[in-house]
Amino acid sequence: MQDQIRDVLAAHGRMAVDPREVDDQADLYKLGLTSHASVDVMLALEDEFDIEFPDEVLKKSTFESVHNIAQVIESLVKSAA
Amino acid sequence: MINVPDEVDGHRVRVGCDVVDIEDVQGSLAAFGDRYLRKVFTATEISDCQGRNRVHGLAARFAAKEAVIKAFAAPDMPFPLREIEVTRDGPLPLLRLSGSLAERAQHQGWLSSSLSLSHADCHAMAVVVVVCGPAVDDPMCAVDSAGAGGR
Repeated sequence: MQDQIRDVLAAHGRMAVDPREVDDQADLYKLGLTSHASVDVMLALEDEFDIEFPDEVLKKSTFESVHNIAQVIESLVKSAA
Repeated sequence: MINVPDEVDGHRVRVGCDVVDIEDVQGSLAAFGDRYLRKVFTATEISDCQGRNRVHGLAARFAAKEAVIKAFAAPDMPFPLREIEVTRDGPLPLLRLSGSLAERAQHQGWLSSSLSLSHADCHAMAVVVVVCGPAVDDPMCAVDSAGAGGR
């Protein structure tokens, strides 16, 4: 899952570094992820995992790290199953 | 050295600002189209952004939403973007909140807001200033509830 998330970040995150090479706890905002880019990342993750991000997880912290994104997606995938 | 207070005559003042790259919004429209529009903007906002400056208008409204989010100063709060709406009174932009964010603004004691938008060829920006009365039992902002400044 983390590889998929990193690929989405690489395609849509417009970050200063390659997200495939950062620690999963690294602060993505400090590495160049903007609030606007996080919207694209969210939409692409919805496509990738066939999920929808509900309002309650639309927080800054959700997209703060690869780890955080993975946790939220795992929870959404389980809920959808 | 002094700590500059964030209150004026007992009213806390909140401010937020943001700048958005026009190309980013163009890219989002190209990549995600209506899904992007429906996730971020209300029907009124989409309708208000037409014609030659459509993308600039959308970018300015996105910047306004981010500016409002910053004014809340509650980073771990959910922020459904469509609950922050930019409307117009003639040429003047106005802020309208709905849903959970309207409720949170009430808890924080938001009394009035003033919004300003601008754009150039490459970027759009927004600034919002909010004047607050006493916070009303906001569980997310214990400091506000206590009426004291600082964190």
